[in-house]
Amino acid sequence: MTTTLPPGTHVSGDDPNVLIDDDYASYEPIPPYPPRTEREAEFYTLGDGEMYLNMGPQHPSTHGVLRVVLKLEGERVVDIDPVLGYLHRGVEKLCENADYHQTISQVDPLEYVSSLFMEWGPVMAYEKLLDIQVPRRAEYIRVLSGELNRIASHALFMGWFALDLGGLTPILWSFIERDEIVEMLAALTGQRMLFNYFRIGGVNGDLNHEFLSRLGDWMSRAVGQIDANTKLLNENEIFVRRASGLGVIDTDMALKLCMTGPNLRATGLPYDIRRAHPYSVYPELDFEVPTRSEGDSLARYLLRMEEVKQSLRIIDQCLHQMPDGPIMAKLPRLLRPRPGRAWAALEGPRGLYGAYAISDGTDQPFRLKIHDPSFIHLQAVGALLPGHLLADTMAIMASLDPIMGGVDK
Amino acid sequence: MDRALKLRLEARFGGVLRGPVRQRQDQTEIRIAPRDVTDVLRALHDEPPFSFPVLADLAGVDTGDTLQVVYHLWSGTTSDWLRVIAEGLPREDPRVPSATFLWKGAEWMERETYDMFGIVFEGNRDLRRIYMPADYTSFPLRKDFYLADDAARSPGAGVRHMERSHAPNDAVAGTVRRTGAA
Repeated sequence: MTTTLPPGTHVSGDDPNVLIDDDYASYEPIPPYPPRTEREAEFYTLGDGEMYLNMGPQHPSTHGVLRVVLKLEGERVVDIDPVLGYLHRGVEKLCENADYHQTISQVDPLEYVSSLFMEWGPVMAYEKLLDIQVPRRAEYIRVLSGELNRIASHALFMGWFALDLGGLTPILWSFIERDEIVEMLAALTGQRMLFNYFRIGGVNGDLNHEFLSRLGDWMSRAVGQIDANTKLLNENEIFVRRASGLGVIDTDMALKLCMTGPNLRATGLPYDIRRAHPYSVYPELDFEVPTRSEGDSLARYLLRMEEVKQSLRIIDQCLHQMPDGPIMAKLPRLLRPRPGRAWAALEGPRGLYGAYAISDGTDQPFRLKIHDPSFIHLQAVGALLPGHLLADTMAIMASLDPIMGGVDK
Repeated sequence: MDRALKLRLEARFGGVLRGPVRQRQDQTEIRIAPRDVTDVLRALHDEPPFSFPVLADLAGVDTGDTLQVVYHLWSGTTSDWLRVIAEGLPREDPRVPSATFLWKGAEWMERETYDMFGIVFEGNRDLRRIYMPADYTSFPLRKDFYLADDAARSPGAGVRHMERSHAPNDAVAGTVRRTGAA
């Protein structure tokens, strides 16, 4: 390298084409190397009257550690370039090097708001690899705890969304609900957030008295409480006018962007894995798949609140139909599935959670691919945002509900 | 298992399939060469007997000798998940056509696969690293990338620590030097 390097920089030890900044200048939005792709060149070329704004990696409303470079024209967002990797832990590699049981606790912290769904995918994939029949009671317990977790996640979404639109009160209210559910699940699983509860072939523990008494207590007033919470926002004119027409997307575009879950259903397509490709005991349960046609942020919010009501219906049915019996299939401690491949997908609070497991006949998965909807939905922000105001950035992102733990695997 | 889907796939893609259509539980699997990815995905997406609107997942796989790209698709026309495997990508220069012409959302999934396996998706406008830093030069999910920690050796090394009560055969003699610990 010549002596023309800018002061405070040196050449990277890995790639000589990349310069490393030692100073605080590394927080400049423009990367210190020539553009690597067509798209990067396009983004990092300023048009007339445009400017960059660097947001993050620790912006308080980014829902995790995310850096976003915005290209602005006045107060309008022209383009957006999310920079990921601040939470990347290499979980898939760790799973390849752990045995089948250990991977369940490895994938837990990916989705730290609704961990049960993140456990469910790999567990289902392993069960397919092993050809195990899971006892019905275990399946019911999974559905019951999963739906509780879905409500907890949607409650948090409601608070966050309002917070990113500038309202502080809803997050305090929604945490009342979330806290009760989280304590309930702690009584069931032993952990408040990273449950590590599902096992290959069943669940870790049976329903206990504390869980059931907390659940019964909460169920008796849940509908009223949730109605009171949503009334705070649904009838708030500032909130409704702000959120409607924000980040509109239609079904075709949503499918092209690989979106799933509430964000896709808010465009009018009733695509819910629980009905589209039934798993567990969902075929035996009676619930509706709510849809809305507007496809904007308000629709995404209202749809999730509808889903909470359906989840309550499912929990009620689970409690009434819960069969007796074992909660674990009979399995050896050391699992060696025959060589093969299995894909399992399920409907979580954010969309399609998937796991693709490959076995090579040993006690460790040869490959475990985790599919997380947050990753896909964060990508969709780039398609929804252009044309909106800077202040709407976080509102649109929050309405898609990505969790950075799942984005950075 | 959806037998009808198997027949439809065999009738339509008979020439390009590598090996038989495999079915197990709720999954149907076809294997194709990387050069056929564009045609097969377009046919699966557009043609009425298939019409797969949902790309559920795109994954890279390192089999040890070659690389693969695996697509999972969903359609209302069948009760199965369809798995399309583009197999036989050479380690030195793995190239496969991009799926972004059908699903724009595949862009980041392909970036992730490029980042972890070094598979180049031709036609992806934004194929740069997504998780690892820009100056990183390895591909961490390849099987020849070992974890530094002895307790978590790759299966390729033949270590099965749960089956052994003491040190594995190929363990380093003497103390294991750990970096980063005080």
